[in-house]
Amino acid sequence: MASSPTNAAAFEAEPTPLPGALLVNLAPLAPEDLEPALSNIALAFPTQAVFVALPEAPNVSVQTSFNTLKLLPYPPGTTSSTSPVLTAADFLNTWKLAQENNAAACLLLGTESNSLQPDSIRALASAALGADLTVARYQLGPTEGLVNSAILYPVTRSLYGTRPRFPLPLDLGFSLSMAERLAAAALRLTSGNQDDAFVWPVAEAAVASYACTEVEIPTRTFPQPPAPDLNTVLSQVAGSLFADIEAKAVFWQRMRSPSPVRSITPTPASFENLPDVAPMLDTFHLAYNNLQELWSLVLPPQSLLGIKHLSLMQAGEFRMPDSLWARIVYDFALAYRLRTINRGHLLGALTPLYLAWVASHLTLIRKGTAPEQHIEELAQVFETDKPYLVSRWRWPDRFNP
Amino acid sequence: MWQQVELALKESAHRALVTLANFLPGILALLLAVLILTLLGALFAAMLRRLLVSLRFDERLALNTIVPVTDWAPSHSPTLLVTRGVFWGCVILGCIIGIIAFDSAYSGNFQMSSLLLPYFTHSVGAIIIFILGNLIARFLSRSVLIGAVNQNLQYARFLSLGVKWMVLVITAAMVLDHLQIGGTIVDLSFGILFGGIVLTLSLAVGLGSREIVSRSLEKNVDSLDSMPPETQYRPSASEKLRHF
Repeated sequence: MASSPTNAAAFEAEPTPLPGALLVNLAPLAPEDLEPALSNIALAFPTQAVFVALPEAPNVSVQTSFNTLKLLPYPPGTTSSTSPVLTAADFLNTWKLAQENNAAACLLLGTESNSLQPDSIRALASAALGADLTVARYQLGPTEGLVNSAILYPVTRSLYGTRPRFPLPLDLGFSLSMAERLAAAALRLTSGNQDDAFVWPVAEAAVASYACTEVEIPTRTFPQPPAPDLNTVLSQVAGSLFADIEAKAVFWQRMRSPSPVRSITPTPASFENLPDVAPMLDTFHLAYNNLQELWSLVLPPQSLLGIKHLSLMQAGEFRMPDSLWARIVYDFALAYRLRTINRGHLLGALTPLYLAWVASHLTLIRKGTAPEQHIEELAQVFETDKPYLVSRWRWPDRFNP
Repeated sequence: MWQQVELALKESAHRALVTLANFLPGILALLLAVLILTLLGALFAAMLRRLLVSLRFDERLALNTIVPVTDWAPSHSPTLLVTRGVFWGCVILGCIIGIIAFDSAYSGNFQMSSLLLPYFTHSVGAIIIFILGNLIARFLSRSVLIGAVNQNLQYARFLSLGVKWMVLVITAAMVLDHLQIGGTIVDLSFGILFGGIVLTLSLAVGLGSREIVSRSLEKNVDSLDSMPPETQYRPSASEKLRHF
C-alpha cells in the first residue's frame, strides 16, 4: 500500500462495488503526487478492480502497492503536458483505453488530481455509471474562476440550456458512448494539429441530447495555466469557446428551452480580502481612450454608449449592467465568426472589458451581494438576451442601433 | 510658297492619320486583351469560389494553424482572398498580353513594349508592396496598441502610431525605389525620416518611462528591506485574483 494515504481518515465507510468496469485516466502528475493520487483512487474503490491509465509508467514499488488498481501506462508523447485543462489528446487517449479494456464508464481527472478526496472520486464514478456525462462542481471563492463565471458558464447555459456551473471542468466522468462522442470531437481537433485545443464536453452532451449531471467536489487544488498573463489565457479560452459556438451554431439556434433555475443559497462573501479594483479600472480607462476605434468595429452604438457611461463612473459606484456585458460577449462571439477584425486583436480588445466586468463584480460583492447570486442573475440575463445573438448571427448586416 | 505650306500640312496630316491608323488597332488589341482576361478572371474567380465554398476551405484552413492566412485577411475570408488574387492575376496577365499585342500591332520603329513592359511590371510590384505595407502597418499598429493597453502603458497610442509610421515610411521608400523615382534623394530622406522616428520614439519612451523605472527600482529596494522571512511571507490581497 502507499506510504501516505492522505485522505484515509475522511473515507472510513466500506462502499459497495460499482457495477461495470471503470477506467480512471490521470492527467500528468508530478512524481511526488502520483502515489497520493493512486492511494486516493484505491481508497475510493477498495473492493473493486479499477483500470488506471497513466501517461508515464510508475516505478515498480508503486505498481505492486495497490492490489485493486490495474495500471495502464501509455506513452507520454500522446498526451498534452502543457495545458492544465483537459485537451483533445486526453479525450482521445481515454476513449482508446476504455475501448481496449471494455470499460463501462470512464473518469478523466485533471492535473493535481492527487488533491481529490476519495469520496469525491467515488461520487464522480457512481454518477458516471448513471448519466452520460458527469462534471465536477467546485467550491470556489469570490475571486476565483472569474473567466468561467463571466463568460463560460453564462454563455454555455444560455446557448445549450445546460445546468453545469463548470462547462470546462478539470474532472469529469462519462459513459462509453459519451467517450466515443468526445473522442470524435477531439479527433476533429487533433487532425487539424490542435492537440492542445479544448473539447467542450457539456456542449457536446447537449448537442447529442445526452444526460448531463453535476457532482459536488468540496475540496481540490487548482493548477495555474502556464501562460503568465491574463490576455493570453483569456484569448485561448474565449477563442476556443467562440470557435465551438461557431461549430455548433445549427444546434443552439434551434434550442429554445431555457435551463431549469438553479437553487442557490446566497452567502455574502467577506470583502476584507477582496483585491483592489483600481488597477483594473485604470486598464479599462486606458483602453477606453485608445481602443474605441476597434470596439466600434465590433460593438453596436448602444453598447458603445453603455461603455461611455461606464468610463464616467466613480470607482466606488462602478457597475457594469449585466445586459451590457451579455451583449458585449455576444457581439464579440459574432465578430469572431465574421472575422470583423483579426481574431487575435479581437480577443485582445476583450480583455479590458472583461477586467471592467471583474471590477464591477467585486464592487457588488463589496456592497454585500452574494457572488453566486450575481452569477446566477447574470446567467439569466444571458438567457433572456439569447434572441439578440440568434438574430445577429442570422442577419449580421441588419441595422442594429 | 503657299503650295509648299499646303503640301507640308497635307503630308504631316497624312503622316498623323497613318500613325493613328497604325496606333488604333494596337490600342484596341490592348483594351480587348484586358477586357477578355478581366472577364475570364471574373469567371475563374466565381468558379473557384463555388468550389472552395463547397470544399469548406475556410473551416479547413481555420483548423490548420500552420498556415495563418486568416491573420492577413482581416475582414474577409481566405476564400475571398484567394478568389480576388486569381481575379487580379488575370487582369495583370491581360495587361501584359495587351502591351505585347499593342507592340506587335504597332508597326512604328519605336519599340514601346521594351519600355512599357518593365515599367508596368515595376508598377505592379510597387502596388503590391504598397498594399502589403499598408496591411502590415495596420496589423502591427493594432497589435502594439492592444498589447500596450493590456500592459497598462500610458503611451500605448504613441507607440502604435510610431510603429505604424515606421512601416509606412519603409513602404514608401521601397515603392519609390521600385519605381526608380527620386534616386539618392529617396535613400537620404528615408534615412533621415526613419532615424528621426526611431530617435523620437526612443526619447519619448525613455523620458516617459523614467519615473516608472525609478519607482520600480525604489519599490524593489523597499521590498527587499521590508520583506519578511520566507516562512512568514503571504501574498497580498491584490495577488489573490484568479481568473481561471
